[in-house]
Amino acid sequence: MKKRQMYIRMVTASLLRRRSRMVIALLAIAIGATILSGLVTIYVDVPRQMGAQFRNYGANMIFTATEDVMSAESVESAISVIPESELVGAAPYRYETVRINDIAVMAAATRLDEVQKTSPFWDVSGDWPAGPGDIMIGKTVAQTYNLKAGSRLTCTYAPVSEGSSDTADPEAGEEDIVPDNYKDFTVSGILDTGGNEEDYVYMSIEDMEELTGEPATYDVCELSISATSDELNIIKDEITDSVEGVTARLVKKVTESETTVLSKLQALVLLVTVVVLALTMICVATTMTAVVAERRKEIGLRKALGASDSSIVYEFMGEGIVLGAVGGLLGAILGFIFAQAVSVNVFNSSITIMPLLTPVTIIVSVIVTAIACLIPVRSATDVDPALVLKGE
Amino acid sequence: MFIRMIAKAFVRQWKKMAMIAFTIALGASLATAMLSVMMDVGDKINQELKAYGANINVVPKGNSVISELYDVGDENVTGAYLNESELGKIKTIFWAFNIVDYAPFITTEAVLEDGSFVEVTGTWFNHHMELPTGEQLDAGLNSLRSWWDITSGRWIDEQTNDKSVAMVGSTLAKKEGISVNDDITLKGIASDVTVKVVGIYDSGGEEDDYIYVPVDIAQLLGGLDGKIDSIEVSALTTPDNELAQKAARDPGSLSVSQYETWYCTAYVSSICYQIEEVITDSVASAVRQVASSEGTILEKTQLLMILITILSMIGAALGICNLVTASVMERSQEIGLMKAIGAHNGAITGLVITEIMCTAVIGGIAGFFAGLGFAQIIGHTVFDSAINMRPMVIPVVTVLVFIVTLTGCIPAIRMLLNLHPTEVLHGR
Repeated sequence: MKKRQMYIRMVTASLLRRRSRMVIALLAIAIGATILSGLVTIYVDVPRQMGAQFRNYGANMIFTATEDVMSAESVESAISVIPESELVGAAPYRYETVRINDIAVMAAATRLDEVQKTSPFWDVSGDWPAGPGDIMIGKTVAQTYNLKAGSRLTCTYAPVSEGSSDTADPEAGEEDIVPDNYKDFTVSGILDTGGNEEDYVYMSIEDMEELTGEPATYDVCELSISATSDELNIIKDEITDSVEGVTARLVKKVTESETTVLSKLQALVLLVTVVVLALTMICVATTMTAVVAERRKEIGLRKALGASDSSIVYEFMGEGIVLGAVGGLLGAILGFIFAQAVSVNVFNSSITIMPLLTPVTIIVSVIVTAIACLIPVRSATDVDPALVLKGE
Repeated sequence: MFIRMIAKAFVRQWKKMAMIAFTIALGASLATAMLSVMMDVGDKINQELKAYGANINVVPKGNSVISELYDVGDENVTGAYLNESELGKIKTIFWAFNIVDYAPFITTEAVLEDGSFVEVTGTWFNHHMELPTGEQLDAGLNSLRSWWDITSGRWIDEQTNDKSVAMVGSTLAKKEGISVNDDITLKGIASDVTVKVVGIYDSGGEEDDYIYVPVDIAQLLGGLDGKIDSIEVSALTTPDNELAQKAARDPGSLSVSQYETWYCTAYVSSICYQIEEVITDSVASAVRQVASSEGTILEKTQLLMILITILSMIGAALGICNLVTASVMERSQEIGLMKAIGAHNGAITGLVITEIMCTAVIGGIAGFFAGLGFAQIIGHTVFDSAINMRPMVIPVVTVLVFIVTLTGCIPAIRMLLNLHPTEVLHGR
C-alpha cells in the first residue's frame, strides 16, 4: 500500500516539478493524437460526405414500368422500400405530347420540388414553377417560340382514344379530330441542361391532370439515392421483385463512375492519413526520447541509491502513460474539432461522431509514448551509474 | 574557434544532432509530400471525373433546335451536318491541351434482315490521331463510355484495321438473337453493308437498343459522305465563377480585359466558344449534368486536401519546434559553463542557432527528397500516374523549415540566457 502511494507520488511530483519539459512532451503527444483522431474521422466520413456531393450528378436509379405505365400507388410503394435516410430525392415523370401553337412538344409532368433534388445541375433562368398554371420550358423550346420568363402560352392536348403510348410520337395529335383540351400557362423559367431536357416543357402533376383530364400515371421515376453500388443493387432487386409493375434499373453511367472516382478519393485520403500519421508518430517519439534522455543523470543517481532497473522502468512508464492519456484525450477533442471544422467548411454538414475513436486515440498515444520512453530509459539503465553521474 | 566549436558539436553530439535532423527531415518530407499532392490533386481528380463522359456537346447550328426533338423517326430530313474534315481543328484551339478526348457521331437508320428498324451510329472507338503539334491522341468511345460493360466479345479496335465491324447493344442483341462473330446485313438508306459483330455491350441506358459502327460505315449506309451529326468533347475545365456565368450568357457583354481573362481560362463556356470558332456552323453547349457536378466535386476535393495539408503542416511545424526546444533546453549545463567562463549572450545564441540551422539544412534537404518520394508513391498507388512536381513547393518548404526551426529555438534560448551559471552548474 505504501509502495503504491510512493509510486504515485513520484510520478506526479516528477510531472509537476519539471513543468516546462512536461508541457513540451504533452504538446507533442497532443499534436500526434489530434492528427490521428482528426484524419481518421475524416477518412471514415469522406465516402458518406463525398457520396452526397456525387448526388449532383443526378439520378442513379430509375423505375420504369414493367408494362405500359406505372400507377401512382406502385411508385409510392416502390419508393417506400428505400430507407428514408438514403433517399435524396424521387421524381416521377409522366410524358405526354401537347401542342403549343399547333406544334407538338413533349410535356413532362413531375413533382418539381423533387426534381430540384434529383437533378441539382439544372440551370433555370427565372424561377422554378411554384403555383398552378406555371410552366418551365426548355431552352430549345424557348428559342423556337421566342418565349421568355413571364410569357404566356396555351397548351393543347388531344385526348387519344386508342390508348396512349408512353413514347411520344410528335405527329400523334395532328390527325385527331376529337375536341382538344386547353390550358393557359405562364412561363416561370427557362431550363438549360445541355441535354435532351431542353426540348421539353415541365409542369406540375396537378396541371397535367387538369390538362389531360386523366388521373396520374407515370412513365418513369428518377431517384437519387446516396448509397454504394452494392447497396443500390440490393435495393434494385428488392423493388423489382416485391413491387408489381415496377422495374428498377441503375443508371450505369452515374453509379459506375461514382464507384471509380469515390474509391480513388478514399484511397487518396487513406494513403495521406497513413503517411501523415506515421511521420507524426515518429515525431512524437523523437520528442519524447529527447525529453527522457535528458534525465540520464537522475537515472544514474537512483541506481546509485540502489533502485532496481525494473523499478526505474516502471516509474518512467507510469509517467509516460499519464502523459499519453492526458495528451491523447486532449488530442481526441482537438481532432474532433478539426474534423468538424473541415466538414462544415468543405461539405456544409456536420461530422458523424465515432465514440470508439476517443479510447483508440488515447490507447495509441499511450503506447507510442510508452515505447518512446522505454528506449532511452533502457539505454540509461544499462549504463554504469558512476559513469552517468560523472557526466560521461 | 567558432567553426571549430560547431564542428566539434556535430562530431561529439552526432546522435543528438542526427535525431534533430531526422525529425526536421520528417517534417519537411511531410510538408513536401502534402503540398505536392495538394497542388496536383485538382488535375488528377479532374482526369478521374472524365469517367462520367463528355462535358461538351457540339451540334450543327440549324439542327440544334430540331434534331433531338425529332430524332425518333425522321432521320436525315433536317439536313444540317458538321464536316468530318474539320474534326482535327478541335485540337488546335487555345485550350487544345485541355481536350482529353472527343468523338464524332453520325446516326442513321437501317433495316435488319427480319425487317425491323434499328438505329445505327457511326463513331470513333480508339481513333489514333497524329496532331500537327507532334502530339498523339487516341480518342473515341473506348474511353468516353468507360461505364459500358462488354458482356461478350471486345471493343472495336480501329488500329488493327477492323473494317465492316459493329458493336450491338445488349437489349437489341437479345431481341434479335445476335451473338459475337455473327455477320449481320444492314439495309441502309443509301446502300447495304454486311458487318461482323465483334462485341455486345451493356450501357444501362437507351444505347442498348442501338448498333455502333465505325464512322465510314454509317456514312455509307446513310449516303452521308464526310458528314457527322454531333461531337462529344471531354475537356478538363476550371470550375465556373461569376465571370464564367456572365460570359456563358453573352460573351459580348464583357469588357475587353474581362473577355481576355475569360477566353484564357479553361471555363467550360470559353472552351465551348472556342470550339464554335473552329467548327463551321456549330453550337457547342455544356452538358450540365457533367460540367457543373465536376466543378463542385473538384472544389470540395481541393478544399479537403488543403485543410488536411494545413493540419499536417501545423503538426510537422509543432513537432519540429518541440524537439528543437527540448534539445536546446537539455543543454543548460553546457551553456551555464560557457557563461561561467565569460561567454556573451550573443555568442551563445549565435552558436546554438548556427548549430541547429546546420542540422535543419541537412534534415530539410533530405526530407524534401523523401517527400517527393512519398508524393510519387501516393500518385502511383492512387492515380496510377506521377504527381507533377511544382517549383512552388521548394520555397514554401524552405521558408517553413527555417521559420519553424527558429521559432523552436527562441523560447529555449531565452530560457537559457536567463539561467544563472552557478545554479545550473550546481545541478539545481
